[in-house]
This record gives sequence, structure tokens and C-alpha cells, in this order.
Amino acid sequence: MKRRKREGPVVARENDMFEITLSADDRSTLLRFVDELSEILAMGPDDARLRRLFPTAYHENPEHDAEYQGYMRDELTQSRAASIAVVKEVLESTELITAGQLHAFMTVLNNLRLVLGTLLDVGEDDFEDDIDENDPAFGQWQLYGYLGWLLEWTISALSGEDN
Amino acid sequence: MIFIAPSGSQQTEVAEPSVDFATDEVVDLQVPWVVIVWNDPINLMSYVSFVLQKLFGYSKAKADILMMDVHEKGRAVVSNGPREKAEIDVFRLHEHGLWATMQQDT
Repeated sequence: MKRRKREGPVVARENDMFEITLSADDRSTLLRFVDELSEILAMGPDDARLRRLFPTAYHENPEHDAEYQGYMRDELTQSRAASIAVVKEVLESTELITAGQLHAFMTVLNNLRLVLGTLLDVGEDDFEDDIDENDPAFGQWQLYGYLGWLLEWTISALSGEDN
Repeated sequence: MIFIAPSGSQQTEVAEPSVDFATDEVVDLQVPWVVIVWNDPINLMSYVSFVLQKLFGYSKAKADILMMDVHEKGRAVVSNGPREKAEIDVFRLHEHGLWATMQQDT
């Protein structure tokens, strides 16, 4: 799944529009992955895999935090679901997309990476390229690396760096 | 399903960020709140910088400095203001998957 840098999967087009040039296979893999995220989100924010998606807000004050989570958690869940809905549409079509749609794509890619990274217990010195192919988590590490690659390209496109 | 823990893997508990500041029990309404972004091993450096630019309108240079502070010092104050504003900033950072918390400035 190595690609050369100049073959970017996210390309800026005219009139502030963008094109995602991923293959049909890559799109369906991502769609499956996004569906899994929806399923986990539907189970509620207490699932350990979602720890990084629902962080503490008041790290010094559990009482304030409980209050905050009480009125913000649902909103955060709804916001994530809204972004996922946008991304499903984006992946199901090959039409040009707006910067807003690409921004949603970026945040959902990052959500997927956070969940997978939490599951893999990624540390500061872990790199996907160092994982042995006999490692039981090799496939997940490959996907983790793929998401990082795609995210970098998405950020470059949104920053106007690939023109 | 990809979100299944690989066999034999062990999750280590990641400690929530905690800081030992001497805190005053009396909440002073005049003292502003600060929003802190904490270092984490998952978020990409380019992503953190981009999010700070987008959410707070910071220049790339300023966002990069804050991002490097997060990376090297473990945390950086990214915004401040009244409690309600700080809560909104924390929420937007959480929406973007950043590890943000808030505390009253000391």
C-alpha cells in the first residue's frame, strides 16, 4: 500500500472544490470502517475504545467535569454522527466535494485513527513501519499507517499546499 | 471487524493528565480560564497545527509554535477567557479529537 507522494489521493480543483481519487476498493474499505465506528458510537461513550473521543474537560475538578459531560456528551456524539453521515455520502460518490465536506472527512479519519490507535495502545515511539508482519495486529497497524497517510494528504489539500 | 483487540495485546492504562497546582478553594470570577492541549502519541503534528489554525484563526507560524510546545513540553495553553468561552473551545477541540482540558488561571 505504498504510494509515492506526488500521487496524492486528495486534490484541490477549481472553485474551491476537491476531489478524492481513492479507488473503489479503498472507498469500500473506508466505508466499512466508518460503519464500524458508527456502531461503536451507538453503544455509547463509555466503551473503552472511545476513550480518546470523549476526553475529560476539567482535569482538576471531577464535579465540574461530570456537570460538563452531562450537557456536552450528547452534543459531541451528535456532532460525530453528523460528520460520519457527510463522509458516507462523500465516499459513496466520486463527485467533487466542498472544503466543508473535506473537513468532515478529515475529522472522521482522525476519529478512526484515534480509536484504532487506542486499541493498538500506540506509544510515542511506535511506528507502523516497525511492526513485524507476523504480529497478530499487523493488519491493523497497516490500516493505522494508511489512515495517517490519507490524513496528511487531506490536511495538505485543505491547507492549499498541493497546488 | 477491525476494532477488535488483537489477541495477546494488553492495554496499558493511560493516565489522565494531572497537574499539581496549589488550588484556591474560592472561585474567583475575575480570574480567566485557560484551555490546555495535552500531548498524545496518536494525533499527527500537522493535524494539531491545522486544527489550531482553523478553530482559533491562528497563523501557521503561531499554531506550529503551540503544536511544538505540546509535543516537546507535553502541553500548551491554546486559548483563554471566561469559563463559558473556555468550555466552547474545549468542546470544539474535543470535536476534532484533541486532548484538551480547562482550568482557572493561576
